[in-house]
Amino acid sequence: MKRLLHTELTRLRWRRAVLVLMLLALALPLLLLAGEAWNTRPISEADLAQAQVEIDAMNAENERYIAECLDDPESYGIDPERAEQECEGMYAAPTPEEWLFRPTLDLASVREGAGLALVTILALVAGVVGTTFVGHDWASGSMSNQLLFEPRRARVWLAKALAVVLGTVVVAAVSILLFWAGAALVAQVRDIETSADTWSQILATQARGLVLIGSVGLGGYALTTLLRSTVASLGVLFGAVVVSSMLLAILLGVNAERWLLPTNVFAFVLGGYDYYTGNEVSCDADGNCTGMSRLHTGQAAIYLACLVVPTVVASLWSFRRRDVP
Amino acid sequence: MSELVIETRGLRKVFATRHGPRVAVDNLDLSVAQGGVHGFLGPNGSGKTTTIRMLLGLASATAGTMRLFDTEVPEGLPQVIARVGAVVESPKFSPNFSGEQNLSLLARAVGLDPNRIDQALDAVGLGRRGQDLYRSYSLGMKQRLAIAATLLKEPRLLILDEPTNGLDPAGIREIRDTIRALGASGVTVLLSSHILAEVQQVCDAATIIGNGRVLTTGRVADLLSEAGHRHRFRVADEAAAERVLAAAGLSVSRSPEGLVVESAHPDDVVKTLAGHDLWVTEITPVRRDLEAVFLDLTRAETLNPGRP
Repeated sequence: MKRLLHTELTRLRWRRAVLVLMLLALALPLLLLAGEAWNTRPISEADLAQAQVEIDAMNAENERYIAECLDDPESYGIDPERAEQECEGMYAAPTPEEWLFRPTLDLASVREGAGLALVTILALVAGVVGTTFVGHDWASGSMSNQLLFEPRRARVWLAKALAVVLGTVVVAAVSILLFWAGAALVAQVRDIETSADTWSQILATQARGLVLIGSVGLGGYALTTLLRSTVASLGVLFGAVVVSSMLLAILLGVNAERWLLPTNVFAFVLGGYDYYTGNEVSCDADGNCTGMSRLHTGQAAIYLACLVVPTVVASLWSFRRRDVP
Repeated sequence: MSELVIETRGLRKVFATRHGPRVAVDNLDLSVAQGGVHGFLGPNGSGKTTTIRMLLGLASATAGTMRLFDTEVPEGLPQVIARVGAVVESPKFSPNFSGEQNLSLLARAVGLDPNRIDQALDAVGLGRRGQDLYRSYSLGMKQRLAIAATLLKEPRLLILDEPTNGLDPAGIREIRDTIRALGASGVTVLLSSHILAEVQQVCDAATIIGNGRVLTTGRVADLLSEAGHRHRFRVADEAAAERVLAAAGLSVSRSPEGLVVESAHPDDVVKTLAGHDLWVTEITPVRRDLEAVFLDLTRAETLNPGRP
């Protein structure tokens, strides 16, 4: 089994499409990190000066509107008695800081933003890797050749599945590590403190993310082994995400969100997710909201397992029983 | 009797199609003795490839039993597969890997000595093209790579399905020589081919199948002699001679060169005709080749499927 696994890992490494996808997975954290660092970059003196120039230019224009407003306040829907106060209020000049509005880097927010995006994209990449890896074996017909050397089909199936899961999880782990190491470095350079609690949440999120990535890779592999075609497999995956979402929205209306794939993915990775259950949302002072509900990790895990486990079982059964072309 | 390397009994394969079940192999009893080259002949769709695929575990049998090296397959396939090399239909490799990479993956999977890769490539004349991508190979080179893959395992049984497909004349000769040499060295070769002259040249024994059933099997020399003795007779009045011989229960057909009569005893034919005042001016023995035997058998099977 070890020998077979080693062979399948070599096959995975030699596949050019897989290599390109893996490189993409490694480049992705750098792109996301660069975006995150840029969007939260500290405001410099030069930024402030530039903002002031832009505000001044705007103020010059605003002076004209204020004068027009004072001349004919009713055309602006303003009571003439309050014109002086309200016309100026409408065109109050922002401060340079307000004009530049830029959030500070906050790793807790990154976990729910770029961190989640990274895991989601890596999961998609893993699905495509699993699909294309075995899809090529079926398309080229080389699967039958492989079985002429190792006829124990369950072992062959398992070795390929393990290769996909190991390959995608290891590359994803490196990618995630790169991202968070970079994020920590940027935070440190900017003297931004991150609590141990936040780091522990980040760790748990990314660990669940790796489970998701491995599962999607396995699911893509299993589905393609079942359907024996990359195109059919990608078609089914597309159908599962897009068409089923549309159908659910039509059938369940506002209650559909609980059953949408993205909702469950986010809930699983983030350790819970609040979703809308009504058209109007109102929250009290304690943060208890009506019109929203929380989807817990366990519920999301069951939902995702219901998609992956039957596919895996059907795939293995079919691979062992069906004739190989 | 030598030990059987391949043995099937009552082998049957039924495919479910949109138009209902289709019988591809029907109660097939195939026996291939150890050593030598055994031809496996049949028209397209007669069940040759399906039989081979069932023997190798690529397709499941609907009914019947199969044994390789006296081991029940497909259950026992893992125990015997190291001794079996096979090329089934067209060569099947990953087009984006080199020939060497393709062989390397097969060898690694079962822990074969990596040195065998170069040896196998050299044996089929691909030593200098091993690093090239498989997709850049000609059909003949692909075929040779498939044969190289079978040689990786140093097989005791080689199953080759149309191995000379796409090869140039020199390549065909090379492969035939390889097959002959392997057969002579004690390796059993099951050669499925539609090139009947090839089978006649290379094979010691042959099995001919049609509609999934064995039509005949045996040593090639025996098949040719059992196929009947034919002689061509020249007679002045061919129409009258044909009537007389047919009335005497002989199988007669006309050809531009005279009447062709199925009989091991041409003197009896001469006597029968002489009894009706018909005089034979020339007798020529008609040599039959495997192609004629094959065509007779498969034509009869097409006209009367299932009749012995």
